[in-house]
Amino acid sequence: MALPPILVLGTFIGFPIGLAFLFSIGFTGGLNEVLSIIGQDVRGRDGKLFTLQAYKDVIADPRFAGDVKTTLIVSFVATVFVLLFSTGIGLLQRLRGGKLSSVLTALSLTPLFIPVVISSWALYTFYGSAGLYRTIFHSFGIDVPQITSTMLAVIIGSIWVSLPFATLMITSGLQSVPNALIEAAQDAGASLITIIRTVMLPLALIPIIIALTFTSIGILGSFTVPFFLGANQPTMFGVEITNFFSVYNRPQQSIVMAFIVFAAASGIAFFYIWANFRNAKESGRV
Amino acid sequence: MANQSGEGLELVGLRKILGGRVIIDDLNLVVNKGEMVSLLGPSGCGKTTTLRMIAGFLIPESGKVFLAGKDVTEIGPEKRPSAMVFQNYALWPHMTVFKNVAYPLKVRKMSKSEIEKRVHDVLEMVNLMHHKDSRPAQISGGEQQRVALARALVQEPDILLLDEPLSNLDAKLRVKVREDIRELQRRLGITTVIVTHDQDEALSISDRIAVMNEGRIEQFSTPQELYDAPQTEYVANFIGSLNRVTGSFENGAISAGSDVIGIRPEDVFFSKNQIPGSVAATVTLVVPRGHFYEVYLKRNDAELRAFVSSEVPKAGDAGFANITKALIYRDGKLVRTA
Repeated sequence: MALPPILVLGTFIGFPIGLAFLFSIGFTGGLNEVLSIIGQDVRGRDGKLFTLQAYKDVIADPRFAGDVKTTLIVSFVATVFVLLFSTGIGLLQRLRGGKLSSVLTALSLTPLFIPVVISSWALYTFYGSAGLYRTIFHSFGIDVPQITSTMLAVIIGSIWVSLPFATLMITSGLQSVPNALIEAAQDAGASLITIIRTVMLPLALIPIIIALTFTSIGILGSFTVPFFLGANQPTMFGVEITNFFSVYNRPQQSIVMAFIVFAAASGIAFFYIWANFRNAKESGRV
Repeated sequence: MANQSGEGLELVGLRKILGGRVIIDDLNLVVNKGEMVSLLGPSGCGKTTTLRMIAGFLIPESGKVFLAGKDVTEIGPEKRPSAMVFQNYALWPHMTVFKNVAYPLKVRKMSKSEIEKRVHDVLEMVNLMHHKDSRPAQISGGEQQRVALARALVQEPDILLLDEPLSNLDAKLRVKVREDIRELQRRLGITTVIVTHDQDEALSISDRIAVMNEGRIEQFSTPQELYDAPQTEYVANFIGSLNRVTGSFENGAISAGSDVIGIRPEDVFFSKNQIPGSVAATVTLVVPRGHFYEVYLKRNDAELRAFVSSEVPKAGDAGFANITKALIYRDGKLVRTA
């Protein structure tokens, strides 16, 4: 029964990935031939088993270090803030309920219904050099720095885009912690902070890890937000990969970058699987 | 306000409204130190609400809760000298048995060696040392129950609160665990309040039972008193089995009247021979109930059930039925025992 999906995955995902990987290590013939003829700086293996020259090109490129730094900082900071906000909203809703938590939850879910390209454009015009944000300050005689084309704008945009999914995951995870388990901790003498730290967060760990992995992988490979809101250089990998592919016409180096991002994402995905496995083991399911 | 009992537990004029409905109304109860008291009643009578007010999870609209001589009415559960065993045990699934039991001591910032010693002792007491590294999901329901009990006992609380602790266990295990709980409670001399809807459970392990009805205590007595002389018709109906007949009871015979006559089936005797006070009766049905038989009798004055364990008659047998004890109620209150 598992064969059809495996075939579909193999044909439409596995095969192109394999082909791209071979291209990145110098297999420029066969199905990769057209790309190697059109592209610039294509490194063939020249009779050797494989070549890592394209990888060396990318690593030696001064833009690469800047892109790595930008991508890592944006992904890390935005993920941390997304988790803090969504966990905070989830805890507020679980422990107190009330109007404030309902309003915050509704607000955090709003981006879900606005296409990323629209919200990126809206943020661009809001934070831009003549945007509402600067205009308001300017009317009070304060000249605030422009935020667009900076890492900060990309971080703000990434938080906006990623918040709904993380809030949904973490809120539902915290909601499913049974009352009795919280009350048992209260009865044992634990303070609210201790209950959150020792009971609620560990019990909602899997949804939190899902939110963490999906958010960080999503931001790591994002294109629209950094394209609209980020600087031209250094930029995030999503934008740089596109630049290398279509603007600089260097498909092989573009694919190399994609593999580097893929490796990073795989690392995060491995953490997700490990956490799931650990949780299943703890609860006696495996 | 002074606490009458000095130690133990005292509830004074408790009133609790939930969802606009009065759940508990003017509830008063004194539990002596070292006593085991059951709050017994049907679903919705307010017994769990009462327990949750004792534990501190609910604050009463009015009234006071005294624990070990201190007014704790406004104090949260984390600061009360009580420990609760929850209906579904409420063990933290991500912690081992040891960590579950050690948790209350850890949050009190006890030393590691002290925690080790106390947890070790209490796990020995409930025979669970061999499971100290297991997770709750890896042990049976009865063992989980004992872990929950150990977690409560390790705190050395002034009062132990048990919320329907046996309701998730099968019938045999329930009897075993309730005996274990009673034995431990006696050994430690710990004041205990247990909530149950199971009268067998309440009768077998309690020093005293508070029978609750619609947010009030109908009667608070020893199990024997409660069974032998239920002060209200409600209690008589709730505890044990009862023949309920409307009429007047004189010299073993029932005649027309407006009193409610409560007769325990074990106080009805069927015999082939007439004795003074007995009335002619016919057996209409005999139902086996394991170690006894429930015999349905048709007397000239009433239809009654009797419990018989020897010389069991057959349906259709004619003879005489004798009532040895009757409880007479007027307006729901016991007026005399005949």
